[in-house]
Amino acid sequence: MATKKTSKSTKKSGTKASPDAEVGTEQEAGAGASEPASEGASSDGEVLRQPAEVAHADQLEALRQNESDTAPASWWLSPRSVLTYIVGGKTLTATIRGKQTEVEITRKFFGDDTVVERAIVTLASERALLLVGEPGTGKSWLSEHLAAAICGNSCLTIQGTAGTTEEHIKYSWNVARVIAEGYTLANLVPSPTMNAMRSGALLRFEEITRCVPDVQDALVSVLSDKAIAVPELPSSPLIWAKPGFNVIATANSRDQGVNELSAALKRRFNYVHIPIIGDQRTEQSVVRQRTSELMQRYGLQAKVAPPVLDLLTTVFRELRQGKSKEGIGLKQPGTTMSTAEAIGCALDAALHARYFGDGTVRPADIARNLTGSVVKEDLGDLASLREYATLVGKKRGAKDPVWKELCDALEVALRQ
Amino acid sequence: MSDRVELSRVPGLPLDWSALQARVQQVLDAGPYWFPVRHHSPTVALHVGAAIRARRPRLVLIEGPSEASHLIAHLLDRKTRPPVAIYSSYRDDANVLGLAGVATPSPDVPVRSSVWYPLLPYSPELEAMLAAQEVGAELAFIDLPHHALMKPHRPPENDEPEPRVEAVAPSESAGEATHERGSEGHIERSEFYQRLAAAAGFRTFDEAWDGLFEVGGQARDTEDFRRDMACFCAAARATTDPARIASDDTLPRERFMLREIRRHLSERELAPEQAVVVTGGFHMLLDRDDPELPPEPPPGTLNTTIVPYSYYRVAERSGYAAGNRAPAFYQLQWDTRQRGGDHQDLVIEHVTRVMRQGRKKGSALSSADAIAVTQHASMLGRLRGRSEPVLDDIEDALITCCCKGDPAEVGQDLQAAMREAAVGSRVGKVTRAVGMLPIVADFQAQISDLELGEALQRDRNFVLSLDRKQPLDARRSAFLHRLCYLGVPLGSLDPEAVRGTIHRETWTLRWSPSIDPAVVERSALGDTIESAAAAKLEEDLAHAQLSAGATTARVLDALRMELPDFATRLHDVCGPAIDADPRFVSLAHGLTSLLVIDRHAAFRGLRRDVVADLVVRCYGRASFAIPDIASVPPEEEREAVDGLQAVAEAVLGEHEVALDRDLFAAYVSSAAAQTSSMFMRGVLLGLLAELRVIDGAVLAAEISGLARGAETAMVAAGDLVRGILEVSRASLMLGADAIVEAIDELLRASSWEIFLVMLPSLRAAFEKLRGADLGVMCDRVAVRYGLREVEELDLSLTVGAAALMAEVDQRVAQIMEGFMQGFSEGR
Ligand SMILES: Nc1ncnc2c1ncn2[C@@H]1O[C@H](COP(=O)(O)OP(=O)(O)O)[C@@H](O)[C@H]1O
Ligand SMILES: [Mg+2]
Repeated sequence: MATKKTSKSTKKSGTKASPDAEVGTEQEAGAGASEPASEGASSDGEVLRQPAEVAHADQLEALRQNESDTAPASWWLSPRSVLTYIVGGKTLTATIRGKQTEVEITRKFFGDDTVVERAIVTLASERALLLVGEPGTGKSWLSEHLAAAICGNSCLTIQGTAGTTEEHIKYSWNVARVIAEGYTLANLVPSPTMNAMRSGALLRFEEITRCVPDVQDALVSVLSDKAIAVPELPSSPLIWAKPGFNVIATANSRDQGVNELSAALKRRFNYVHIPIIGDQRTEQSVVRQRTSELMQRYGLQAKVAPPVLDLLTTVFRELRQGKSKEGIGLKQPGTTMSTAEAIGCALDAALHARYFGDGTVRPADIARNLTGSVVKEDLGDLASLREYATLVGKKRGAKDPVWKELCDALEVALRQ
Repeated sequence: MSDRVELSRVPGLPLDWSALQARVQQVLDAGPYWFPVRHHSPTVALHVGAAIRARRPRLVLIEGPSEASHLIAHLLDRKTRPPVAIYSSYRDDANVLGLAGVATPSPDVPVRSSVWYPLLPYSPELEAMLAAQEVGAELAFIDLPHHALMKPHRPPENDEPEPRVEAVAPSESAGEATHERGSEGHIERSEFYQRLAAAAGFRTFDEAWDGLFEVGGQARDTEDFRRDMACFCAAARATTDPARIASDDTLPRERFMLREIRRHLSERELAPEQAVVVTGGFHMLLDRDDPELPPEPPPGTLNTTIVPYSYYRVAERSGYAAGNRAPAFYQLQWDTRQRGGDHQDLVIEHVTRVMRQGRKKGSALSSADAIAVTQHASMLGRLRGRSEPVLDDIEDALITCCCKGDPAEVGQDLQAAMREAAVGSRVGKVTRAVGMLPIVADFQAQISDLELGEALQRDRNFVLSLDRKQPLDARRSAFLHRLCYLGVPLGSLDPEAVRGTIHRETWTLRWSPSIDPAVVERSALGDTIESAAAAKLEEDLAHAQLSAGATTARVLDALRMELPDFATRLHDVCGPAIDADPRFVSLAHGLTSLLVIDRHAAFRGLRRDVVADLVVRCYGRASFAIPDIASVPPEEEREAVDGLQAVAEAVLGEHEVALDRDLFAAYVSSAAAQTSSMFMRGVLLGLLAELRVIDGAVLAAEISGLARGAETAMVAAGDLVRGILEVSRASLMLGADAIVEAIDELLRASSWEIFLVMLPSLRAAFEKLRGADLGVMCDRVAVRYGLREVEELDLSLTVGAAALMAEVDQRVAQIMEGFMQGFSEGR
């Protein structure tokens, strides 16, 4: 149970916190918007989760040094280099910290590259970008990397919730000082939006459809006027956006709200739908790469062997599709069974193996965590898993020891 | 990925590019002047036309079916408007290939094969022909006739398995194909292309082609363009396994082309430099020293003509390399360039067309969207390493800018609009000067006389409602029935609309490229549609000789087709078949057809008394044949039941001809007594109830009888109930209470195991019920089980489900009761 808590809270950190805390993320932005932390990689080893532009500073720098195309106004890289940064597959020679180095550009986002191309082009156009899709399809992940590559800052973020207000989007005041000194520009507390506008950077707006319509309307004026008016100040100045300013929003298609973006806002966004990863090989690559990255971050020595990885992704795919490879129809669980959940499951299993086992992830560890990620609050999902174990797992178990171990463990876990 | 990849620097390719270039240059410089093409490419069309106009050759030889060279003048006729197709069909009448009965259903049916060679307004072949005509060059086609590729049947040697008939035709199953440009398949599969695609991120061959050759291609120097294309094809050929090339029709065709080129030159005493050759790019690199001879076409009947074709079909064929993924889009590209417009104009116009189609479907698309799409497409194209966007970029941009969500859900209208704008619905026209077979001429004359031409302008459904009391509609109806009968796929009759009245019909018509060839095929039967239909009817009647069902059905066909003479021959044709046919099912069909014929009688000038006599005779013989069905095998039960119901309907229905109900009832009774099938017994008893010979109580008694009988008999009770409900309508309404009670008794008496055995039949039985019957049954079931408030039963469920639910509730209650009793007693 303890392991569970750890991973859940790390996975969700920064997405579930209160709106106030979210607005607080601008701290780095305020200081470093025009001077992003490109040298930061080594200095803050204590941070649990580094922003992409820090974690991949070398790759971004290598791309900059190898740039052969022109970048749009305020962009750090050309669209093509941004694409390379996201889809990887190249090794570049660059001078990093004074040394000539070969830098491998790793793949960040797996799946259909046209999705990434369309997203990048949208950000270079007049329109804002909305990434929509099922939860756990990598929308926030892609948004973060796009922001990191395009403006070197992925931290200008607003987390949409029912409690998000217009102030979170535009600006607020340092009330104490306003009482003492009255309204002055120095007493204005800018929002991430305003910071992004001033520096021609990208604003990330997570879960935008959770905001109430009034708040969404505040964004309409930002997007159409490219300016924020401050009527409290004597001259009613307008804070203008520098070229390059744009918005990447994300929305969850499971939220009923997606289609409820107001017509005015809808028009200003290009929607890019992120599908659930289509083929198993790609999904395995994502789970493998992300799990090992995450394990490294926790300094975990655990290993997930390929057959176990295969097992894990197979279970997730089959349950998600409601059909086994052999064509047996299955009851689909209410949970999304997303790739992100699979990663979480692998990581949980690894933690468990590390602290309670010999460091090798076994099918049984997967089984234990499956009951955690599939079942969650829902007893109906428990039935799905039980059905799956009986109809699909048992048969495979007769031939394949990996499946047998999974089924045996599932049986135990489900009985509890 | 996405960086522009130079063809000469495709990574990881074991190819010496400069050696390849040198080799290609040799071929380019040698006579005859060879121009490599991609079929249906507008940019290639532009350059091949320019090359011919510049060189002014004496002779232009084109990769087209050599057996159709005589049609070239008609292809160039101003009254021929592409898309059209050269249609070539072969029939092995003398069975020289020995395939009759091997590759065909019977030895009487000769093997056939046919091929379409589609041509669009911007096909390079067509443009080459037009240019040749302009400069006064002679023209000929040089491709191998398709039937030369048919392999004769080789009887299997002793221990050899029978060879599969796959080698029969260069085509698909039906022996009909669109000219397969296998060579493009080779290019796509070559190592060169595969590596190029991987390096450049091309997702389809079309995308690759458009980016490499269509975009910006028109502005290039013709000779540079030709050289690049030749190198592209040469690189593909150099990295294709020779065994693969040898495995299809490539080599025989190339041998033929080579021989034809030499023949044409020597016949006209021309130097090679005076000729231009236009073929698929892959063939340009053929082996000029190949010593083998091409195959000879077998003798037989060859029909070659030009038929209208459509964009829709061309698009359908894309992926087979004979098609074109977006005929209307490339047409627009061609037209825009002819007008002197640039690529931007093309993009804007195409996007606007999509928007127009989309708005027709109710999508809210603004001109702001159109601007966003155009801008997005250009940027996407640039990101993907091209100077201008290709269709893939435009379509991705449309999805990005106009589809607000998952394209598979909210984007369906938009995608349909994109498809329509890209494909188009244009249909071509063929000059009347093409020597037309008489039957084709008759067909076209009728189409225009009957004002059906409009329906065939576009490749889409056209619904036609006819009232046969109107003279024009009567003639249309007859014509359409004749075409249907001849298997000419012009239209289909809506079966629902026929049932109500014999005057009204609803037809759905649609143009199809198989119409003309089908008419051509029928020319063996007659010179007009009417005479061909009459000839086929005679043939079919001869086959139907001893079948009452088939014969009367043909007569009904004849009436619908308004074939003359049948009114007078009715008796002579049908009488003997009825008298000779002992089979109940066939006679029952005969009776149904005759009753329809009777309804046509007044209207078609038939003699009522003759029809009435036939009806009575057929009815009598059908009744006498009923004992046969007492012992039909289970797989024929379905037909038998349909037949019985048809006869019962005849007896119970209202007609001028009076039928003796008792006769039928007597035979049904005796069959019911004889049959050993519980299902058939149910059916027969049910019929008797419908005929009011027995009532619901008797049926109920029959069911309860089984409930009180042995367990083995009880198992069959489900089948009995299924049989009864299969045919009972009125009797059920009247006797529902008794029947429900009996079924209930049966269920109470049966053990759980027996119940499970009966369950499938019972469910099938109840699912048969419809409408009012269902209501009555539900009502009775509800009352029976104490559910007085009938409304509480959801009537949208099938009564099967309702009855079962009630049953299961009941059972559970019983079990619980028993359990509780046992429980309290046990204490
Ligand atoms: N296609 C993908 N490529 C790379 N990582 C992915 C992909 N899909 C999911 N993930 C991983 O799943 C995790 C959760 O993704 P996230 O972006 O939070 O999902 P969403 O915002 O769509 O709910 C991230 O760690 C991410 O690395
Ligand atoms: Mg998210």
